Amino acid sequence: MTAVTPKPAATTPTAKMIRMLGAVSLACGLLIVGTNLLTFNRIRSNTEVIMKESIAELLPSIDKQVVYRIEANGELTILHGLEGEGQRLFAGFDAAGKFLGVVLEANGRGYADVIVAMYAYAPESKTITGFKVVEMHETPGLGDRIGSDPQFAENFKALDTSHAIAAVKHGTKKSPWEIDALSGATISSRAVGRMLQKSIEELGPVVTKNLDRIKKGN
Amino acid sequence: MHDTSGNPFLNGLWKQNPVFVQVLGMCPTLAITNSVKNAVAMGLATTFVLVCSNGLISMVRKLVPKQVRIATYIAIIATSVTVVDYLVKAISISVYKALGAYIPLIVANCIILERAEAFAGKKPVVPSMLDGLGMGLGFAFALSCLGTIREVLGAGTFFGFSLFGPNFEPWVLFLLPPGGFISLAIWLLTFTLWRERKARIATEQAALEQARKAAALNVIAEVRS
Repeated sequence: MTAVTPKPAATTPTAKMIRMLGAVSLACGLLIVGTNLLTFNRIRSNTEVIMKESIAELLPSIDKQVVYRIEANGELTILHGLEGEGQRLFAGFDAAGKFLGVVLEANGRGYADVIVAMYAYAPESKTITGFKVVEMHETPGLGDRIGSDPQFAENFKALDTSHAIAAVKHGTKKSPWEIDALSGATISSRAVGRMLQKSIEELGPVVTKNLDRIKKGN
Repeated sequence: MHDTSGNPFLNGLWKQNPVFVQVLGMCPTLAITNSVKNAVAMGLATTFVLVCSNGLISMVRKLVPKQVRIATYIAIIATSVTVVDYLVKAISISVYKALGAYIPLIVANCIILERAEAFAGKKPVVPSMLDGLGMGLGFAFALSCLGTIREVLGAGTFFGFSLFGPNFEPWVLFLLPPGGFISLAIWLLTFTLWRERKARIATEQAALEQARKAAALNVIAEVRS
């Protein structure tokens, strides 16, 4: 780039360089930590807003929801409010109090980074009835279409989970448990299939086991 | 190196346009220009980071020993990108949804490091920030040019609005990586031809001027003799 000084007599002492780099790193670190602390609560409440919106989109006629935390032993604990760590399960009810289905979280490694998604699951028919990406860093314009492509979303109107879910090459979907991959975004599409399969394997039995309780919303 | 004289803002926007003239930052240029919306979003996010990093680097330019300047620049650039990421996430969810995927990509954009090295490391704070603004907007402009070709031909839409009705069969090629190279070639060709034409006209005019002067001198000499 710019002309390097021709004289080899670079007289900056090593200690000074180390001091300067140390100071810059420290300042940068403090800046990042400070911003993180300042924005932490806002980011968290924003994420909750996205989650609420996602649930409303996945179960359109939802009027009331009950949030459970899934404990390590497969039991459920009711949570008040959306906050809290750990795996969550959202049970949705319409205005008449009719049980609509549950919303579960799934995550898995995509092409660029972890994809976090939510999906609606109808426990009686064991089908996935909706899918929504909450957070991802897939390639803009290619992989990120898993969150926006209407044709891809068609896959999740009634996705059978009684058989292992798998993404297949674009245009070759034959069975109700297959996901028609996006052309140009095969890796991201496969990642969606994998993360749904993993999540349903783990959480499906929990839902089935606690179904009576979930349906009553207690 | 290239010319950094003149107004730093206009320089970046046009005369030293990072994509069309310096041919820098090709990775985001090719990767994310498949729609105008993506292009504008990436351009604006990059502009913001460029202004921040140029400003910060210019502030510390006298304190940093020459040997470790690149490491310092990279630390500062990465910090600005992370801070911008947090801020956008905290300020507006809808903006983050549109920009979220692009922000981490900015660290890898060589335009930022190039401006730090070529400009901000030597110049005062205000011109450096203006340079960042100009370069960033120039980058956004170039990305939008590419995005326009690719979206109009590849999807038949502009900014998401359908242009040709339902019967249009889009050239999906333009949305895929080869389309990026083809559109970039089209724009580079256009700009190069335009610049060459301008230079030719300038030389021709200079020659004409000289011929006129010579002729006038001849006339004067004839009249005198």
